[in-house]
Amino acid sequence: MEMGGVPVGRRNLFSERRRAFLGIAGAGVALLMALALDGVFAGAMGQVTVYIDRSGADAFVSQRGVRTMHMSSSAVPIATVDRVRALPGVRWADPILYDAGALMAGDKRELTYLIGYVPGHRGGPAALVAGRQPGPGEIVIDKEAAATLGVGVGGRVTTLDRGWRVSGLTTGMTNIVNSVSYLRFADFAAARALTGIASYVLVGVRAPVDTVIPRIEGSTGLTAETRQAFAAQERRAIKDMSADLLKIMTLAALIMGLAVIGLTLYAATLSRLREIGVMKALGASKARLSGIVLAQAAWTVGAALLLAVVLAEGLGWILGRASATLPLVVEWPSVFRLGIGAAVLGAFGALTPLIKVWRVDPVTVFRR
Amino acid sequence: MNGGVPVARRNIMADRRRLVTSVVGVGAAIALILLLQGLWTGFRLQISAYEDHVGANLFVAEPGTRNFLGVPSVISSDAVSVVRTIPGVQRADPVAVRFAVLDLHGSKLFTFLVGSTRGGMGGPWNVVSGRDVRFDDEVVVDRTVAGQHGIALGDRIEVMGQAFRVVGLSGGTRSWMAGFVFATHDAIERLVRMPGTTSYILVRTQNPAAVTEAIRGRTGLAVLTPRQLGDNDRALMGRIMSGVVELMLVIAFAAGTLIIALTVYSAIVERVREYGIAKAMGARRTRLFRIVLGQTITIAILGTAAGYLIFRGGSWLVALMRPQMWIRQSMSGLIFAVAAAAVMAVLAALVPTRRVARLDPASVYRG
Repeated sequence: MEMGGVPVGRRNLFSERRRAFLGIAGAGVALLMALALDGVFAGAMGQVTVYIDRSGADAFVSQRGVRTMHMSSSAVPIATVDRVRALPGVRWADPILYDAGALMAGDKRELTYLIGYVPGHRGGPAALVAGRQPGPGEIVIDKEAAATLGVGVGGRVTTLDRGWRVSGLTTGMTNIVNSVSYLRFADFAAARALTGIASYVLVGVRAPVDTVIPRIEGSTGLTAETRQAFAAQERRAIKDMSADLLKIMTLAALIMGLAVIGLTLYAATLSRLREIGVMKALGASKARLSGIVLAQAAWTVGAALLLAVVLAEGLGWILGRASATLPLVVEWPSVFRLGIGAAVLGAFGALTPLIKVWRVDPVTVFRR
Repeated sequence: MNGGVPVARRNIMADRRRLVTSVVGVGAAIALILLLQGLWTGFRLQISAYEDHVGANLFVAEPGTRNFLGVPSVISSDAVSVVRTIPGVQRADPVAVRFAVLDLHGSKLFTFLVGSTRGGMGGPWNVVSGRDVRFDDEVVVDRTVAGQHGIALGDRIEVMGQAFRVVGLSGGTRSWMAGFVFATHDAIERLVRMPGTTSYILVRTQNPAAVTEAIRGRTGLAVLTPRQLGDNDRALMGRIMSGVVELMLVIAFAAGTLIIALTVYSAIVERVREYGIAKAMGARRTRLFRIVLGQTITIAILGTAAGYLIFRGGSWLVALMRPQMWIRQSMSGLIFAVAAAAVMAVLAALVPTRRVARLDPASVYRG
């Protein structure tokens, strides 16, 4: 038995193909759970900042201490807009009103974030797939929300305790929780009886944004963030909210993964114990025998991780077609983290087989 | 191999180490199923904590309001005095409720800011330390938030750019998603810069049905019972989260099934000669299937028991380390987990059964 060049570990693992399949599938599905959870939250986080990302603003100005939009309230004096416009390096500054609300049509209801913007200025829908910008008493809603509500352009919805005509449809603005709808700033203010305030001010700059932010904060006493920082704060809020839940679920998934990997390696080692005894009798070192088990572990973990990634991508594809509001995005940093976790699982799972191999008696060769 | 020999049990018990690993693996899957359901049940209870405990029979809100979560209601403060004049209304107090994200030493926390009037309904119902708010620069925060972020009575925290002194800690006022921060109505009104408005009017009455009709008639506002608000919020959260929860349940189920199948398949492969002998001696397919099923059921039963213990231990640990996460075990959840384990056992028997069914009795005579 020329041992050096023979991939004994791989051959051992795949000598019984169905068992290898069950083991790799089991470990892959356990790893899939961790990957899918990460993917669902990554998808949700991508959706949650879509308004900010598409706004075209370089900076967001909000009430002092407010650094998010999701589940947040902000109110700034409307006079802030002119003050910001007058600052050096500022190209444009436009106000928006913002609040959570519900769109209703008949007995159907969709949660939405309402954006009040000044027509012809920034803050409105980035692109329309049907209809036009809202006129007085009109609203632009996302096509996913429109489909759920059963309305189209020209249809009527109720929100802010008033009826509105749907003048246009956007796309890509619906997430797992709600959608984004747009109406005129003046209509929003009138419906909420708001005077002299905006929720946020969107700012475009002609100078480096990092130099403009301190000017805005110094001049207004409000909080200003770059678009990227603002979106990052938003993602951070969601991440902090779900971190504990993710940790618990991931831990349970990894325990399952550890059990499957351990079982697979143990069974593969046990079934070839006689051959391992022969190798020992022929003088194979402890390191060589350990290498066989570790090669089995590497193959199991590698194949399981690959399977988990393929399944997660497949799941993401299916979810993307079945529901636009529950995206599953597989991110490589997440795969990398899982790979490290899986390698640790492989090492732990290999412990019992390693002990078994080290203790194997070469005399077993001569037993039936 | 006659009917009296417990072959399945002996086969599965032949390698204790493998059995223990398998039971732990299946146990983890069952524990995960129980944990998901327990968290979901607990969360559903937490969702309506405010409505259930605040002491009001009715919530008066903006027309079209169906939820306490998700959609803020905004109504004129003038409506409070109108509601108070309606016969049968014992108490009517305004509460201002808005969302906010607090920055607490580097991490973010979603909160419901609740502003109530002094002595009125709507404030913290369970102050476990300190006292309720009296002044506009005071807040009561949940004790788990305080514990997690090292906030003590007398400390100052910043809410939407304004400093507040923590004068009390409340209990049962936080979920994994968000926590309550209680302040005065005036403080919240000023903070969100919506003077002359409130979010809800909390009403206490002995005659909810008649008072509901009267309030609707006089004000045109929506009137909901705490039960209706809670049920609507549960339905809303169910719609948002059920997809993710179901996805995780399916994955846990698949993992558990594969673990059982792997264990039994491995055990059968190692005893393949014995199965060949049994077949050569005339054992029927049904007998062999019963042996395989006996093994998968044994692992499923032991795995369910282990899963329950892991779940209980995990719940205890979570309650200790993250008290805001309520895990509530329900009978329906337990029945679901047991049923899932039974289905896992049957499905897991399929691959090993195929292996045994295809076994050639002549293999007995081969080396």
